[in-house]
Amino acid sequence: MLARISRRLAGLLATLLAASFVIFAAVYAAPGDPAVFLAGGRDKLSPEKLELVRAQYHLDEPLVVQYGRWLGDCLQFDLGRSFKYSDQVADLLAARFPTTLALVAYATVLFVVLGVGAGVLAAVRRGTWVDSAVVGGTTLAASVPSFVSAIALAAVFGVQLGWFPVTGGGEGFTGTVHHLTLPALSLALGALALISRVTRQSMVDAGAADHVEVARASGVREREIVVRHVLRNALGPIVTMCGLVMAGMLAGTVVVETAFGLSGIGSLLVGAINTHDFPVAQAVLLLMVTGYIVVTTLVDLVHPLLDPRVKEATA
Amino acid sequence: MTHTPSRRTALAAGLVATAVIAVAGCSGATRDTAGGARTADAATLDLTPTTAPATGELAHANWLLEDEPDSLDLDTQGSSAGRIVLTNVCERLYQLQPDMSTKPLLAEKAETPDDKTLVLTLRSGVTFHDGTPMTADDVLWSLKRHADPDMEQGDEFGNIATMRKTGDRQITLTFKTPDAMFFKALAGDAGIVWNKEQVEKAGKDFGTPGQPDACTGPYRLAGWKSGDSITIERHDGYWGKKPLTKRVTFRWASDSALVNALTTGAADGTYAESPNTASALRGKKGIAQYYGPSTASLVLIPTERGGLADPRIRRALSLALDRKGIAASGYGGMVQPWATPVGSGAWGYEKPVFEAAQKAVTGAPAAPDAKDIAAARELVKEAGADGSGPIVIGTDAGQGRTVVANAVRAALRKIGLQGRIKTVPTSQFEQFYSTPEARADIDVLVGDWYISKADPMGFYDNALSDSSNNWAGFKDPAYDARVKKALATLDDAERAKLAVGIQKTFTDAAVWIPVAQVPSVLVLDEELTGPPASMAYLYYPWAAELGSKKG
Repeated sequence: MLARISRRLAGLLATLLAASFVIFAAVYAAPGDPAVFLAGGRDKLSPEKLELVRAQYHLDEPLVVQYGRWLGDCLQFDLGRSFKYSDQVADLLAARFPTTLALVAYATVLFVVLGVGAGVLAAVRRGTWVDSAVVGGTTLAASVPSFVSAIALAAVFGVQLGWFPVTGGGEGFTGTVHHLTLPALSLALGALALISRVTRQSMVDAGAADHVEVARASGVREREIVVRHVLRNALGPIVTMCGLVMAGMLAGTVVVETAFGLSGIGSLLVGAINTHDFPVAQAVLLLMVTGYIVVTTLVDLVHPLLDPRVKEATA
Repeated sequence: MTHTPSRRTALAAGLVATAVIAVAGCSGATRDTAGGARTADAATLDLTPTTAPATGELAHANWLLEDEPDSLDLDTQGSSAGRIVLTNVCERLYQLQPDMSTKPLLAEKAETPDDKTLVLTLRSGVTFHDGTPMTADDVLWSLKRHADPDMEQGDEFGNIATMRKTGDRQITLTFKTPDAMFFKALAGDAGIVWNKEQVEKAGKDFGTPGQPDACTGPYRLAGWKSGDSITIERHDGYWGKKPLTKRVTFRWASDSALVNALTTGAADGTYAESPNTASALRGKKGIAQYYGPSTASLVLIPTERGGLADPRIRRALSLALDRKGIAASGYGGMVQPWATPVGSGAWGYEKPVFEAAQKAVTGAPAAPDAKDIAAARELVKEAGADGSGPIVIGTDAGQGRTVVANAVRAALRKIGLQGRIKTVPTSQFEQFYSTPEARADIDVLVGDWYISKADPMGFYDNALSDSSNNWAGFKDPAYDARVKKALATLDDAERAKLAVGIQKTFTDAAVWIPVAQVPSVLVLDEELTGPPASMAYLYYPWAAELGSKKG
């Protein structure tokens, strides 16, 4: 067990290291010159001034040296100072991460409850109009990009009906829920179709198993069959898919944050990439990669608990 | 001293741009009864520097910025977002007025015993927000901090020979050569007086969230929650007039989020930096818009590549360009066809002289008529342009710039030349301004420019033979001599006369081709009034005059 955990940890660290280098190189290679943003106004853009700025921020050193410098600081828990903001990167992240986390958590609750619910409903009423309505409705929802749904939701429920605020993250629990409802909904809409499809198919497969037929033949109530035999056996793929979608959302909040004026790590990242704010871009991307790895690892760990068959296979 | 408004657009710029158009469409359909009323007619935009004075107190105002400030230390990071907040908190030795004139502020008196000496007598009884009195040492220390070449305003101090404390309340500056622009700079960020002790105590963290301000001013910084909001509060110990609004909370949003927040009343106002935002908000219920003079302009900047090296070709292009069309379809009528490269906000003195001179410029018609086109064709023929390859127009994918680029291509076609548009990502666009190599494959840049000083002479030095902004290599020793003379002329009337002549040489040679002036736009809840509408909002305590109409 201990060996397995340490192997996992080593793998995780290796992945992070590789990811951090790829990220560093990618941000470095993006078009545009960071010195231009660092120098200030347009009249400051003389070649001499730019040289000075490059030297000051070590931008004139080779990529590998810059990466090494960053890694060294990182290992001493120093994420550095942002180029754009004069603030510490750690402070910038700490201030924005809760917003993004709350947004993703809220969206996850929405797409899990609504998506799994719709999938179960479609599976149970397979072949009826309910099934068609669920499949059609979720397909339509999934085909709308989140920036369009964000704008439509804001226009209808925010501007026209005035039910929800259209900008900002809100304060306190109710305030946050109130402010984040529309952003979370537009983030969750795209995932709905996927989750409901997976749930439906998984339920249909599980429903075809022999023991379900047996239970049904021996007169167990249909409700009990669905909950205890079908849904339970179908949970594996559903949980995996929910985990993957949630992990993916951590990196995909940018558009929704922009549309609703939320200062989360998504908008922080975009700003950082556009201004070549290496320390910030690097830290945010690493945070996203870490989040992804953590969530998928958790799903891996939960899987055997849900389905004993998986545990036997891996043991 | 020139500055670029920071326009850091999102990675998803394309998406967001589409989003803005979509939202304008959506909400427009529901809120506006007259669909066509959204597009303003540029010619009828009435530019007034102020709004009606407010009479009622206001407990709290929500204000929107287009971006979170990078820093509240304007010496290290001078973005407009930070300036809009800090101008209410920090005072300068001089103050820019809503009508764009300047007058001494923290310096009670400014004397020039000769053209190379400036004696500032400091106002007495002024205290910083921490209660300590402002001293001559603070002022001298602040000036020296601004003068550091690494700081944003460092280049304003190039002509300074010495800066000394010559009395308890007196600072004397001497110049290597007389410098008319320095007086204007003192109304800008180069004139901020910091509390030396506070700045030194904060060290590297000065200007970041969680740090107090170090200024005198009607408001004090109450808090900056990184990523969320900045709040300023009326300072009870302020030496001057008490502001009407007690507290202002700044949040930031861009594009559709900004438009929505103002439409729903979640925010009380904003200074719209992009004409397209202003256009999307035009005619909304419950919101008023005010247009004020600004120094900002849209311009075409020819590059060293040489496609527009011949001044006759540049003049021909200027004659054939449909500025009115650009204003209407690229900017919703929120910009005004203009014949000089700086907006009317630059007329901080001798306004009638500059106004008349601008009107007298003939080489840049709003909408070219047949005569203009004929004259332009004649110029092209004279220049003998053989059309060896198309003229390459550099732009990014922004809505307005795309329209300008297409208008340039259309104008070139009208005068018998070929044009080709080269589009680069927004993150790369700024590089056109800095790196000749980045400009190496374009002939003309679809650009914009603004100057931070209300003086046209703050602009015309860009065409000096040795200026790094003189890309096309315009060389005229007589021009250089006149610019240097004007910059050293302290008398306003005298300098205005010189500036008008310089402007004529510049526009005749079409060193840059002016397209339109971009007014500053104040968007305000209908119940509120008071703040200036002109570009002075960057340097004037506008929040102190914000209040309700009734009361």
